[in-house]
Amino acid sequence: MKKKLTLFLLFVAFALSACIFDSDDTVMGTWISDRGIPSGYKVQSLSIGDLTPVSAEVFLDSAPSLANDRAVLGTAANISHDLVFDFAFWDTLFFADLKKADSATAYLALSLLRPFYTSKSFPKDSLPLKEDLTLTVSWKLDKGPSKSFVDSVGKVSDASWLSSLKKWKPDASADTTISVSITAKDTVLRLNMPSDLIAALKKLSKACHLQLRLSAPEAARTYRFYGAGTNYYPKLWVNIPKVKSYNEFNPFRMSHILSNKESCTDCAVLHGGVYDSLVVEYEAAPIMKALSEFYGDEFPYQGKGNDVRQTVVLAQMTFARDDSQGTSELGLPVQVVVGSYVDSAGKNVRQMEAYRLNKELIASEGHPNLVFYDGDSLTLQVTYGLRDLINRAQDGSTFKMMMRLGYPVLQAKDSTYSDHRTSSGDTSYVFFSHFDHARYDFSSSMKQPSTLKLWLANKRGDK
Amino acid sequence: MKKILGILICLAVWSGASVIGLDALGEEQVAGGMASTAGRGYAGGAKTGDAEGLSILNPARNAFDTKVVFNVNFLMDMVALRKHGDYFGVRNVIMPSFNLSFPMGDFGAIGVSLWQSYSSNIKEDVKDSAMSMKTELEYQSSVYEIVPNYTMRLPIIRNFAIGASAHVVMGNSMRDISMGPDASGLPSDETWAVSKTKISDHVDGTWEVKNHPAYYTLALQYRGHQSSFYFSYTTPHTLLNKLDYNFRMSELDTLAPTKRSREVKVPAMLATGMNFRFMKRNNVMMDLAVRGWDEDIENIGGSFSMDAVTETQKDMLVGLGFQRDGSPLFYDPYFDRVTYRLGGWYKTWYVKDVYELGGSLGAGFPLGRKGTTLDIAFQTGKRFADNSRDWDETFFGIRIGLMGVGSWGQTH
Repeated sequence: MKKKLTLFLLFVAFALSACIFDSDDTVMGTWISDRGIPSGYKVQSLSIGDLTPVSAEVFLDSAPSLANDRAVLGTAANISHDLVFDFAFWDTLFFADLKKADSATAYLALSLLRPFYTSKSFPKDSLPLKEDLTLTVSWKLDKGPSKSFVDSVGKVSDASWLSSLKKWKPDASADTTISVSITAKDTVLRLNMPSDLIAALKKLSKACHLQLRLSAPEAARTYRFYGAGTNYYPKLWVNIPKVKSYNEFNPFRMSHILSNKESCTDCAVLHGGVYDSLVVEYEAAPIMKALSEFYGDEFPYQGKGNDVRQTVVLAQMTFARDDSQGTSELGLPVQVVVGSYVDSAGKNVRQMEAYRLNKELIASEGHPNLVFYDGDSLTLQVTYGLRDLINRAQDGSTFKMMMRLGYPVLQAKDSTYSDHRTSSGDTSYVFFSHFDHARYDFSSSMKQPSTLKLWLANKRGDK
Repeated sequence: MKKILGILICLAVWSGASVIGLDALGEEQVAGGMASTAGRGYAGGAKTGDAEGLSILNPARNAFDTKVVFNVNFLMDMVALRKHGDYFGVRNVIMPSFNLSFPMGDFGAIGVSLWQSYSSNIKEDVKDSAMSMKTELEYQSSVYEIVPNYTMRLPIIRNFAIGASAHVVMGNSMRDISMGPDASGLPSDETWAVSKTKISDHVDGTWEVKNHPAYYTLALQYRGHQSSFYFSYTTPHTLLNKLDYNFRMSELDTLAPTKRSREVKVPAMLATGMNFRFMKRNNVMMDLAVRGWDEDIENIGGSFSMDAVTETQKDMLVGLGFQRDGSPLFYDPYFDRVTYRLGGWYKTWYVKDVYELGGSLGAGFPLGRKGTTLDIAFQTGKRFADNSRDWDETFFGIRIGLMGVGSWGQTH
């Protein structure tokens, strides 16, 4: 009885309270302002001009990398792309036939990356691609006694193999000239192999490990193929007419090796489709001075008893831009990807920046972070970096940011900034999914002053 | 009982109690917030009996107990805030205290209580048409005390008992204001940069007593045939609130915290009370507790336009109560076994220009034969705030106490 009464009273009390005590937002707003609690943080914007970097340095990762998916051969934008194929096979009959033959030939068949060459975005007038390609073929050939030798080659990890390629000492090499002609209908590029390679293979009898490298430093362009890990993998054909045998061998992995042919080592040059980056460093002092003038007191100001710090809601750096110093394959605008160096538990790490869309500007003028595009400026958002700099303002640290060329952009005025489905169900591609082997020289941009724009939130009140 | 506990847990998701002193210490849970004491207007610190249990203000009282008492308290609080003709309400469920007292005959009595002495508690979302995004406001601060207590009756003059308790302070404090941008100072073509970006002004920290493991209460109790008195003294102490301030975009994207400590100099407290028993089971009682604050309390807020300090005043509680004890005889009619309580109090808060007037009605229902009691107290009243910051508060609360009584180690 008592329990029921208690329960009843509790329910009545809280049901009533739910009606009577329902809070009204407007009234809550008045109460909050009576207490000096803000209804929003105050944002102010500040432009800091005339910033010139203390250093602008480029880094290129030229370590061999796997090319099992997409492979590139040739030279573009002062970067030369070599390919290394890793073969290992055990075929006693083949070696016996080859030994007897006096007119065996071999060629390498590489499947062209057709989605690239047949894409609507690939400049139509560049096909057919015609060139007398001077190709250097070099190889390392190891003989083995049995199938277990082939297995042991397969067990070498990719990392170990890539590492071994850094010191490439071929057993032999031969130059050959190939007349290349690629039309829209072509699917394969055939590269004849030198007779010295056949001669070397003739000396074997059971199993072999062949590492074959193709270099075309004098090529007029790059050629794109499918890699060893795709359905359209490269094939090495060996034709032995005497016994009417046609033998096919497939590489089980492939690697890219880059070489940088840039003559100007101090130039701030970025390339598309490779792992390179431009790291730009600014002194913190001019930024701190401008903040100090802006707030009218020493910066960073710690407050008297109150925590009055400020944080960066958004920061963007605007550089002068001159596209005439660059070259591009496709003629499309190319996005500039940006990161900054921030503190993470005492370590300086690189963090890729988020990109906040200024939809009005994008709709009228296009994304501000593009090169090979209208206009003469490049605006990059560096919010994390500046937030970190102001956060650690006492440390005397510098502001460091990183840039890299990203994907070509098909719709520069699309404010979604990502491939998306349209209302009609079609896919709208904003980016072209192949890198442009472009070259962009930021040297003049780095010599001219850039402007930093900050949107700042702070905890200072009126009192 | 399970149902009641179930409801309490469900209601516990609502939050918000008195919001006066939110940035200082919060609301004080007077006398451990015990339902039995609240039912008689927070008076009765001097009342002795077989199973009265612990009193926070009077650690000497349980020397006269003969039974082991375990007691747990709940408070469901509803507060209507009113100013300029506007009002809104907040609700809250808390457990202000657990108490255990253990009499040991000639060796005195020991006890321990876990007491939420002060709490700041509110969680509200605010959105009005003028704001672009809603502001989320949350305060969760609790000054918890573990209070071990020892008391004994004096040799020879057995009507007197002395007792002492140590208040070991712990607890945490958190204040979070999550808000959208106020872009009114920006040109219209620059607002895109901040729209829908929330930032939290976040503070969290811990409570402790500065330079001491605890602060202490000493008490002297007299139990007469009809009248009982007590006097107690609580030492002054400094509460230390170590705080980390942040201004953060998310829990992962933060600034390096600004570390700051605030010190709250809590002055000594003097308390006294008397209980007069008449007609066997009827009692009238009065308690008085005074604490003369002389320094402002530094606020947890301290940014934007929030006040840096909360001004204080003399903090005083006068409680007046009546209690008719229930019959201890199991075969008496049930309504005769119920304890009835009535009381009222006047309290000046430690926050300057805040006064509270309240009244309460309570009862203790015996459950079963073993002495378990369910104490319920209904309390209501008003807090008058005569400053620009705080609003008047009308409150209504239900306190529930569960008391278990045992006779461990005693033979008849």
